[in-house]
Amino acid sequence: MIDPLGHVVALARSWRGRFILVFVAIQLALPLTYYVGRRDPHDERFAWRMFSPMRMARCTPRFTLDGKPLALTSEFHEAWIEIAERGRFHVIEAMAARVCARHPGSAVVVTLDCTYLDRPPAQYGGYDMCQVPRL
Amino acid sequence: MSDEQPAFWFGFEVAWAKLAVARVCVFGLLALDALDQIRHAPRYGAGGFNVAQLPGLDALGPGRVAYGACELMNAYIFVLAAFGAARRGALGLAAALYAWLYFGSQLDSYQHHYLVALVLVIACCVPWQRPAQATPATPVRAWAVRLWLVQLAVMYLWAAISKLNPTWLHGTALDGQIHGPLRSLIDATIGLRATAWLVVLTELVLAATVWWRRAWPIVAPIGLGFHLAIVFTGLEIGLFAWLMIAMYALVVPDRVWVWLLARLEPVRARLAGIALGTAARLGAIAAAVVLGIVLAALCRFEDALGLAIVLGLVVAGAALARRRTWLCIAHVAAIATWLAVDRASTIAVDYYKFWGGDARRLGERADAEHAYRRLIAIAPDDAAAHFQLGRVLLVQGDASGLDELHVAEQLEPDRARSLVLEARWLAGHGDRAAALAKARAAVAAEPGDREAQAVLARLAR
Repeated sequence: MIDPLGHVVALARSWRGRFILVFVAIQLALPLTYYVGRRDPHDERFAWRMFSPMRMARCTPRFTLDGKPLALTSEFHEAWIEIAERGRFHVIEAMAARVCARHPGSAVVVTLDCTYLDRPPAQYGGYDMCQVPRL
Repeated sequence: MSDEQPAFWFGFEVAWAKLAVARVCVFGLLALDALDQIRHAPRYGAGGFNVAQLPGLDALGPGRVAYGACELMNAYIFVLAAFGAARRGALGLAAALYAWLYFGSQLDSYQHHYLVALVLVIACCVPWQRPAQATPATPVRAWAVRLWLVQLAVMYLWAAISKLNPTWLHGTALDGQIHGPLRSLIDATIGLRATAWLVVLTELVLAATVWWRRAWPIVAPIGLGFHLAIVFTGLEIGLFAWLMIAMYALVVPDRVWVWLLARLEPVRARLAGIALGTAARLGAIAAAVVLGIVLAALCRFEDALGLAIVLGLVVAGAALARRRTWLCIAHVAAIATWLAVDRASTIAVDYYKFWGGDARRLGERADAEHAYRRLIAIAPDDAAAHFQLGRVLLVQGDASGLDELHVAEQLEPDRARSLVLEARWLAGHGDRAAALAKARAAVAAEPGDREAQAVLARLAR
């Protein structure tokens, strides 16, 4: 008969056991954060969502600087632009923050249009991210 | 309640043969993967921008030089580990470097690199060294191997959970992602919908059984077949499927590896029986250090030579202090792996090409010039390199860029781009007649090139 509580208590008695406990607990819980607490549906890191429909989302990030379109290729490496085109909020927010820092006092409006395989298209942002830094 | 540690973890034993085979398969593949990543080093730190995987680490992410050197270093340690010559400290260093490279930047989107970052931590606790007097069948206690398998089970479980939605189960998600020969086979047989269900079922079965020794004779062929099938899907997942196949060395029943290594045991025993005198040992150490340096000098990876010199000294010190001649053989093999992978691939060429392109687009002209000059040094017949260097030099007002364009024109006589650029430069410097001649030559070289046509039309007005 398996005694889960006794098993955990026994594990907690040694550093190896504590390491196992922490490791397994984190690995079981971390992917859960994608489903219950992550504000960015495009961010599938640490969730083992291989080949998910979200991986096929296609987003178009558009940046304007004081109303004029901003060419991202002259500001950021294309690898970052590719990640932005997957819709990852953290990266787009960091890109906006970078443009804001380089152009103090300017308005940096970011609009992210995304299309999905399993849900209707969505638009994020559309406002000055120097004032509201989160999508 | 018992004071004993749970046998599920601490009573877990595998045959020594299994650890030896897994060591070679997993670390050998990790070495190749590390070297393959070097081509992507230029994107790290480019433009001074970075977003880390973990909050607060943005400023601590690796740059181009550090990324390339660390991947080289990791490949070296992984080969040492495959040879059984890397102790826990070296593996700990590789795990730390790997974690830094992965968690330091979101540029790495490969899920298997996250998995590797985790299993490397576990691998530090696996007894990879052969126990004294061990035969292939000798059981070795390895709680870390059990944890490794549980980690795989957790991954399969969450992968299956993530697919429990109509888009996957109807086959729609697979439809957009699966290509290659396997797609043709699926379309001609069970179809995408049945395949989608089969994938979920397989992942659930593997999650429930991959860590369970008694199930291994059934799980190993299922898992190996599953990941081998993924290899043939054409999915852009790097070496993920191959790495999983290598990790199945831990799932294949012990007796298979015991049988295999028993065949090799006489060779191992003969090698182990070679006893070197002090002079021979010193000679072997010196030869290993020198050979390592020579091999690294032939290697085109940036910093390979410097790293080989430092590592040679470290290895010589360790071999002298601990009488570990085997380490010298592993050292040479590791640097030979750098060289073999370099010469058998386009990694070094891609590295400089990407570096030059990135620097040029971001306006870092000095870096772009340096990268393209290095590229030409290792690939003198690369027309694109000469064209790009010419372009960078001309933008800086350096007329020697024309010489590079001329080389490019000779290397790619059916391309217009170098001729167009030269025509523009000549026109911009008042030599309209020569510009017109170059524009005509451009159209003649590549009649369909719209840019060439536009330049010719403009100059001919």
